[in-house]
Amino acid sequence: MGQTAIGVFLVVICTLLEGVGQVFLKKSVLGAVRWYLWISFGVVILLLETVIYSHALRFLDVGAAYAISSLNLISVTFMSRCLLRERVTRTRWIGVCLIFIGVGLVVARA
Amino acid sequence: MLKAHGAIKSNWMSVRKKFPIRLAAGLLLAILIDTALQLVWKSAVLSLPDDGSAWLNVQAVLHDPLFVFVILLMACQFFNWLMILRNADLSYAQPVTSLSYISVFCLSVLYLKEAVDLIQIAGIIIVLAGVWFISQTDHVTQSEEHEA
Repeated sequence: MGQTAIGVFLVVICTLLEGVGQVFLKKSVLGAVRWYLWISFGVVILLLETVIYSHALRFLDVGAAYAISSLNLISVTFMSRCLLRERVTRTRWIGVCLIFIGVGLVVARA
Repeated sequence: MLKAHGAIKSNWMSVRKKFPIRLAAGLLLAILIDTALQLVWKSAVLSLPDDGSAWLNVQAVLHDPLFVFVILLMACQFFNWLMILRNADLSYAQPVTSLSYISVFCLSVLYLKEAVDLIQIAGIIIVLAGVWFISQTDHVTQSEEHEA
Protein backbone atom coordinates (compact mmCIF):
# COMPACT_ATOMS: atom_id res chain seq x y z
CA MET A 1 0.00 0.00 0.00
CA GLY A 2 1.42 3.38 -1.02
CA GLN A 3 1.89 6.32 1.35
CA THR A 4 -1.05 8.24 -0.15
CA ALA A 5 -3.33 5.20 0.06
CA ILE A 6 -2.46 4.76 3.76
CA GLY A 7 -3.23 8.45 4.38
CA VAL A 8 -6.58 8.25 2.56
CA PHE A 9 -7.46 5.05 4.45
CA LEU A 10 -6.70 6.69 7.82
CA VAL A 11 -8.76 9.81 6.99
CA VAL A 12 -11.70 7.62 5.91
CA ILE A 13 -11.43 5.76 9.25
CA CYS A 14 -11.54 9.21 10.92
CA THR A 15 -14.77 10.11 9.12
CA LEU A 16 -16.37 6.88 10.41
CA LEU A 17 -15.15 7.62 13.95
CA GLU A 18 -16.55 11.16 13.66
CA GLY A 19 -19.97 9.70 12.77
CA VAL A 20 -19.93 7.25 15.70
CA GLY A 21 -18.57 9.85 18.17
CA GLN A 22 -21.23 12.40 17.23
CA VAL A 23 -23.98 9.78 17.51
CA PHE A 24 -22.75 9.00 21.04
CA LEU A 25 -22.82 12.72 21.98
CA LYS A 26 -26.34 13.04 20.60
CA LYS A 27 -27.39 9.93 22.55
CA SER A 28 -26.11 11.57 25.74
CA VAL A 29 -28.54 14.49 25.39
CA LEU A 30 -31.54 12.34 24.43
CA GLY A 31 -32.29 11.52 28.07
CA ALA A 32 -30.60 8.13 27.87
CA VAL A 33 -29.90 6.22 31.07
CA ARG A 34 -26.20 6.55 31.98
CA TRP A 35 -25.81 9.59 29.72
CA TYR A 36 -22.33 10.14 31.20
CA LEU A 37 -21.15 6.87 29.62
CA TRP A 38 -22.38 7.96 26.17
CA ILE A 39 -20.65 11.32 26.55
CA SER A 40 -17.42 9.71 27.80
CA PHE A 41 -17.30 7.18 24.96
CA GLY A 42 -18.12 9.96 22.50
CA VAL A 43 -15.22 12.09 23.75
CA VAL A 44 -12.82 9.11 23.72
CA ILE A 45 -13.79 8.25 20.13
CA LEU A 46 -13.36 11.87 18.98
CA LEU A 47 -9.94 12.05 20.72
CA LEU A 48 -8.93 8.80 19.01
CA GLU A 49 -10.03 10.35 15.72
CA THR A 50 -7.76 13.36 16.38
CA VAL A 51 -4.77 11.09 17.03
CA ILE A 52 -5.38 9.04 13.84
CA TYR A 53 -5.94 12.24 11.81
CA SER A 54 -2.63 13.69 13.03
CA HIS A 55 -0.97 10.43 12.00
CA ALA A 56 -2.65 10.59 8.57
CA LEU A 57 -1.10 14.01 7.98
CA ARG A 58 2.32 12.30 7.79
CA PHE A 59 1.18 10.58 4.60
CA LEU A 60 -1.09 13.21 3.06
CA ASP A 61 -1.04 16.86 2.16
CA VAL A 62 -3.12 18.95 4.62
CA GLY A 63 -5.38 20.28 1.82
CA ALA A 64 -6.11 16.74 0.58
CA ALA A 65 -6.76 15.43 4.11
CA TYR A 66 -9.06 18.37 4.84
CA ALA A 67 -10.98 17.79 1.59
CA ILE A 68 -11.43 14.05 2.26
CA SER A 69 -12.54 14.78 5.83
CA SER A 70 -15.53 16.68 4.43
CA LEU A 71 -16.88 13.12 4.03
CA ASN A 72 -17.71 13.61 7.74
CA LEU A 73 -20.94 15.23 6.59
CA ILE A 74 -22.05 12.14 4.69
CA SER A 75 -20.92 9.81 7.48
CA VAL A 76 -22.70 11.79 10.23
CA THR A 77 -25.92 12.12 8.19
CA PHE A 78 -25.93 8.41 7.31
CA MET A 79 -25.35 7.35 10.93
CA SER A 80 -27.98 9.82 12.21
CA ARG A 81 -30.43 8.17 9.84
CA CYS A 82 -29.48 4.58 10.70
CA LEU A 83 -28.54 4.73 14.39
CA LEU A 84 -30.64 7.64 15.70
CA ARG A 85 -33.62 7.14 13.34
CA GLU A 86 -33.59 10.82 12.41
CA ARG A 87 -35.87 11.80 9.54
CA VAL A 88 -33.43 12.64 6.73
CA THR A 89 -35.60 13.85 3.87
CA ARG A 90 -34.55 14.13 0.23
CA THR A 91 -34.22 17.92 0.68
CA ARG A 92 -31.79 17.39 3.57
CA TRP A 93 -29.75 14.89 1.53
CA ILE A 94 -29.56 17.40 -1.35
CA GLY A 95 -28.34 20.04 1.12
CA VAL A 96 -25.74 17.70 2.62
CA CYS A 97 -24.44 16.65 -0.81
CA LEU A 98 -24.22 20.27 -2.01
CA ILE A 99 -22.29 21.27 1.13
CA PHE A 100 -19.99 18.25 0.68
CA ILE A 101 -19.21 19.26 -2.92
CA GLY A 102 -18.85 22.95 -2.01
CA VAL A 103 -16.54 22.32 0.94
CA GLY A 104 -14.50 19.96 -1.24
CA LEU A 105 -14.04 22.73 -3.84
CA VAL A 106 -13.12 25.35 -1.21
CA VAL A 107 -10.62 23.30 0.77
CA ALA A 108 -9.06 21.17 -1.96
CA ARG A 109 -7.17 24.22 -3.20
CA ALA A 110 -6.35 25.58 0.27
CA MET B 1 -53.19 47.61 7.77
CA LEU B 2 -54.19 45.34 10.66
CA LYS B 3 -54.46 42.45 8.21
CA ALA B 4 -50.92 43.10 6.93
CA HIS B 5 -49.61 43.33 10.50
CA GLY B 6 -51.32 40.02 11.30
CA ALA B 7 -49.76 38.37 8.23
CA ILE B 8 -46.27 39.61 9.19
CA LYS B 9 -46.74 38.37 12.76
CA SER B 10 -47.95 35.00 11.50
CA ASN B 11 -44.94 34.70 9.14
CA TRP B 12 -42.57 35.64 11.98
CA MET B 13 -44.14 33.00 14.26
CA SER B 14 -43.72 30.43 11.50
CA VAL B 15 -40.02 31.36 11.10
CA ARG B 16 -39.57 31.18 14.91
CA LYS B 17 -41.16 27.74 14.96
CA LYS B 18 -38.99 26.51 12.09
CA PHE B 19 -35.84 28.09 13.49
CA PRO B 20 -35.99 28.83 17.25
CA ILE B 21 -33.85 31.73 18.50
CA ARG B 22 -31.95 29.55 20.99
CA LEU B 23 -30.95 27.13 18.20
CA ALA B 24 -30.04 29.98 15.83
CA ALA B 25 -27.87 31.59 18.54
CA GLY B 26 -26.20 28.25 19.32
CA LEU B 27 -25.42 27.56 15.66
CA LEU B 28 -24.08 31.09 15.15
CA LEU B 29 -21.89 30.75 18.25
CA ALA B 30 -20.64 27.34 17.02
CA ILE B 31 -19.66 28.87 13.67
CA LEU B 32 -17.94 31.83 15.37
CA ILE B 33 -16.02 29.65 17.84
CA ASP B 34 -14.99 27.21 15.09
CA THR B 35 -13.75 30.10 12.95
CA ALA B 36 -11.79 31.64 15.86
CA LEU B 37 -10.44 28.21 16.78
CA GLN B 38 -9.08 27.50 13.33
CA LEU B 39 -7.53 30.94 12.86
CA VAL B 40 -5.97 31.01 16.35
CA TRP B 41 -4.73 27.43 15.88
CA LYS B 42 -3.13 28.38 12.59
CA SER B 43 -1.47 31.48 14.10
CA ALA B 44 -0.26 29.40 17.04
CA VAL B 45 1.26 26.75 14.75
CA LEU B 46 2.94 29.44 12.63
CA SER B 47 4.51 30.91 15.80
CA LEU B 48 6.25 27.61 16.65
CA PRO B 49 10.05 27.49 16.25
CA ASP B 50 10.94 26.03 12.87
CA ASP B 51 13.76 23.74 13.98
CA GLY B 52 11.91 20.45 13.47
CA SER B 53 12.37 19.21 17.03
CA ALA B 54 9.16 17.60 18.31
CA TRP B 55 10.14 17.98 21.98
CA LEU B 56 10.89 21.70 21.62
CA ASN B 57 7.54 22.10 19.86
CA VAL B 58 5.73 20.39 22.75
CA GLN B 59 7.50 22.69 25.24
CA ALA B 60 6.61 25.73 23.12
CA VAL B 61 2.98 24.57 23.00
CA LEU B 62 2.77 24.26 26.78
CA HIS B 63 4.18 27.75 27.31
CA ASP B 64 2.28 29.53 24.55
CA PRO B 65 -0.81 31.46 25.78
CA LEU B 66 -2.34 31.01 22.31
CA PHE B 67 -2.58 27.25 22.86
CA VAL B 68 -4.23 27.80 26.25
CA PHE B 69 -6.73 29.99 24.40
CA VAL B 70 -7.25 27.19 21.83
CA ILE B 71 -8.05 24.71 24.63
CA LEU B 72 -10.47 27.21 26.20
CA LEU B 73 -12.21 27.67 22.83
CA MET B 74 -12.43 23.88 22.39
CA ALA B 75 -14.15 23.56 25.79
CA CYS B 76 -16.65 26.32 24.90
CA GLN B 77 -17.27 24.64 21.54
CA PHE B 78 -17.94 21.30 23.20
CA PHE B 79 -20.55 22.60 25.69
CA ASN B 80 -22.22 24.78 23.06
CA TRP B 81 -22.39 21.75 20.73
CA LEU B 82 -24.15 19.70 23.41
CA MET B 83 -26.67 22.54 23.83
CA ILE B 84 -27.29 22.56 20.05
CA LEU B 85 -27.77 18.78 20.02
CA ARG B 86 -30.45 19.16 22.72
CA ASN B 87 -32.42 21.40 20.34
CA ALA B 88 -31.80 19.93 16.90
CA ASP B 89 -31.16 16.77 14.92
CA LEU B 90 -27.51 15.85 14.47
CA SER B 91 -28.13 15.56 10.72
CA TYR B 92 -29.44 19.17 10.76
CA ALA B 93 -26.87 20.87 13.01
CA GLN B 94 -23.69 19.29 11.61
CA PRO B 95 -24.16 20.46 7.99
CA VAL B 96 -25.21 23.99 9.05
CA THR B 97 -22.01 24.46 11.05
CA SER B 98 -20.10 23.81 7.81
CA LEU B 99 -20.63 27.55 7.23
CA SER B 100 -17.45 27.94 9.29
CA TYR B 101 -15.51 26.67 6.25
CA ILE B 102 -16.71 29.81 4.45
CA SER B 103 -15.96 32.21 7.32
CA VAL B 104 -12.48 30.72 7.81
CA PHE B 105 -11.83 30.98 4.08
CA CYS B 106 -13.00 34.62 3.90
CA LEU B 107 -10.96 35.67 6.96
CA SER B 108 -7.89 33.80 5.68
CA VAL B 109 -8.16 35.72 2.40
CA LEU B 110 -8.69 39.04 4.20
CA TYR B 111 -6.18 38.77 7.04
CA LEU B 112 -3.70 36.04 6.11
CA LYS B 113 -3.65 37.24 2.47
CA GLU B 114 -4.24 33.74 1.07
CA ALA B 115 -4.94 33.43 -2.65
CA VAL B 116 -8.47 32.94 -3.96
CA ASP B 117 -9.72 31.52 -7.26
CA LEU B 118 -13.02 31.09 -9.11
CA ILE B 119 -13.42 27.42 -8.15
CA GLN B 120 -13.32 28.34 -4.47
CA ILE B 121 -15.92 31.07 -4.98
CA ALA B 122 -18.13 28.50 -6.78
CA GLY B 123 -17.60 26.18 -3.80
CA ILE B 124 -18.78 28.88 -1.39
CA ILE B 125 -21.94 29.48 -3.44
CA ILE B 126 -22.65 25.71 -3.51
CA VAL B 127 -22.17 25.46 0.29
CA LEU B 128 -24.60 28.37 0.80
CA ALA B 129 -27.14 26.66 -1.48
CA GLY B 130 -26.71 23.44 0.54
CA VAL B 131 -27.29 25.23 3.86
CA TRP B 132 -30.43 26.84 2.37
CA PHE B 133 -31.74 23.36 1.47
CA ILE B 134 -31.02 22.11 5.01
CA SER B 135 -32.80 25.15 6.50
CA GLN B 136 -35.95 24.16 4.60
CA THR B 137 -36.21 20.91 6.61
CA ASP B 138 -37.52 20.47 10.15
CA HIS B 139 -34.73 20.98 12.67
CA VAL B 140 -35.91 18.15 14.87
CA THR B 141 -37.43 14.74 14.04
CA GLN B 142 -40.98 14.49 15.32
CA SER B 143 -41.93 11.29 17.14
CA GLU B 144 -44.25 8.79 15.42
CA GLU B 145 -47.21 9.88 17.61
CA HIS B 146 -46.82 13.49 16.48
CA GLU B 147 -46.63 12.51 12.85
CA ALA B 148 -49.79 10.40 13.01
